[in-house]
Amino acid sequence: MENNSIQNILESLNYFTPELALMLTFFVLLLVDLFFRKSKYLLPAISLVGFIVSGYLLVYTPDVKGFLFSTGMTNIGLYVIDPFSFFFKILILLAMIYTILFSLSSKEINEAGGNRGEYYVLLSSFALGMFLLTSTIDLLLMYLSFELVSLSSYILAGFTRNVKRSAEASLKYIIFGAVASGAMLYGISILYGLTGTTNLYLINFYLSNQNIESLPLVIAGLLIIGGIGFKISMAPFHFWTPDVYEGAPITITAVLSVASKAAGFALLIRSLKIMFIDYTATNLQSSAWAILSQFKWNELIAGLAVLTMTLGNLAALWQSNLKRMLAYSSIAHAGYMLTGFVILDNQGIMAILIYFFIYLFMNLGAFFVVMLIADKLGSEEMEDYTGLGYKAPFLGVSLTIFLISLTGIPPTAGFVAKLYLFGALIKAKWIWLAVIGVLNSVISLYYYLKVVKNMFLRESEIEYSHNLGHGNLLITLSLLIPTLLFGIYFKPIIEFAEQSVRIFGF
Amino acid sequence: MTTYDLIFYLFALIILVSAFIVVAARNIIYSAFSLLFTFFGVAGIYVLLNADFIAVVQVIIYVGGILVLIIFGVMLTNKITEVEIKTESFQVLPSIIISGIIGGTLVAIFTKTNWKVAEPQILDKTVTEIGRFLVSHYMILFELAGIILLVALIGSVMIARKEKLETEEVEK
Repeated sequence: MENNSIQNILESLNYFTPELALMLTFFVLLLVDLFFRKSKYLLPAISLVGFIVSGYLLVYTPDVKGFLFSTGMTNIGLYVIDPFSFFFKILILLAMIYTILFSLSSKEINEAGGNRGEYYVLLSSFALGMFLLTSTIDLLLMYLSFELVSLSSYILAGFTRNVKRSAEASLKYIIFGAVASGAMLYGISILYGLTGTTNLYLINFYLSNQNIESLPLVIAGLLIIGGIGFKISMAPFHFWTPDVYEGAPITITAVLSVASKAAGFALLIRSLKIMFIDYTATNLQSSAWAILSQFKWNELIAGLAVLTMTLGNLAALWQSNLKRMLAYSSIAHAGYMLTGFVILDNQGIMAILIYFFIYLFMNLGAFFVVMLIADKLGSEEMEDYTGLGYKAPFLGVSLTIFLISLTGIPPTAGFVAKLYLFGALIKAKWIWLAVIGVLNSVISLYYYLKVVKNMFLRESEIEYSHNLGHGNLLITLSLLIPTLLFGIYFKPIIEFAEQSVRIFGF
Repeated sequence: MTTYDLIFYLFALIILVSAFIVVAARNIIYSAFSLLFTFFGVAGIYVLLNADFIAVVQVIIYVGGILVLIIFGVMLTNKITEVEIKTESFQVLPSIIISGIIGGTLVAIFTKTNWKVAEPQILDKTVTEIGRFLVSHYMILFELAGIILLVALIGSVMIARKEKLETEEVEK
């Protein structure tokens, strides 16, 4: 038995290479930081190489491989590789690479001095945790990688020293995060007590073959959804978001709002879909929540989605700080994406994937421009943006395009994202939900355009000249072009998302 | 009620009471010492579950290591015994109602549910079994736990160093 299991682990490691590359990056960065503290470009270069190598390995690992690291007792392992996880891993890597590029020109990060090494080290452990979250099929591994992601992000959120609001953000994040992961662990323990296993597929097998009391199952489900809901800042677990997003360095805010949310959604979709779906049913639409039929899950999630987007949008209306406004807007976007989760058939999941891919570019772009302006102006207040459109035309126009795309107006990519999402809702007969989504987009138009109005329609006396530099120009363009291009030519994303809805075992 | 049950409830009582003191005590020293009994109670429950190795580890690491560290930290911190911890309770009624509802639901779950009961096994060597699991089936978790601890360590050093720099600036 021993030999057999070691063989199996060694074999599994062949499929685990992207994650191994990230681990290696983590350790190399840690060591290099010890010896070459002074160099400015070495650490980011190593992280970039690490992420790119990991991406290369990711593309060249086989498409589908189930049940890695299975040994002995059960033949169902801890880890799977499927197109679904591939999609989210690509998304996470893209977000991480952009974050490193942002960090290179970020004033906050470069002035942090001695701690810069840890910044890149923690970013790679953050990426590793998110990779594991997207393809775990075991509750234990899920919890541990959840903790890895959380711990890295707590520290990164409080990274800029001497900044009071950054330390405050970190502390708030830790306290909320501890409660959330505690709740999730409690839910896991109830589920384990009911089924006697931590493997998602075995839990599904047990739940569909035995009579399980519904109350403990519902409570366990609620607690787990709550724990993951914290990560994706779903109402009513969103209270940390504005404070943390405002306090954290802006590069970290950007990565938290995209990558960590993507990992949370991947985990939510995979775990609930595997655990609670009824395999025997042919019609996925009605059977998605079959095992939990005593409780109307889709209506609960629909309610939470409405709550999330409405709260996010209404709170964003009153913000005068741009970073805080983008934080609330990212809550609202989590709400839109949750509506796709209500359907939970392939159409809905595909809509979420498309949305995420486009959201990556537009949201990162918005944060990057805000960062560039904040580095120059020293503030993110909307008042200070008056007349900026004429003084820094390129940045002004880019920010306008990103914000318009976030609202979802054609011809930007944001429109395509919303179109597919609401289209899926209407197809699945959730028309009231789609209507609320559209109404919410209208609300969001007001606060997004308020920024644009400040930039272009008001004159100001402030002296402002911005020499962007070639690097920053290229980064902005590389985010801007997809945002516009995917608004017109979106076939490739649709195809990519279509291929990626396949979750292992379906 | 068998003796086994009796011992279990005894330990459970110790854990609950001491954990309550940890939260409620105004003086941080009392909290730290009360935590000692919580850890011991948990170790006792592990022994009852035949997990002898885990129980020993619990005593050595939590009681012997972490707790002593906490107490040292408290004692080395200047004047901490005199500092009034600002723990005030507000919104008492709503929180009692909410935690009452949650607690009631959980109690209902625990008493009413048919839990899946594993066959009791008595192993002579739990250490071997745990070791075997950690390097075979749960190898990846074992490695991951190592990385998590490393990240936590880096984080705590970073935060500690931050404070040092700040005090230096203040002294200047």
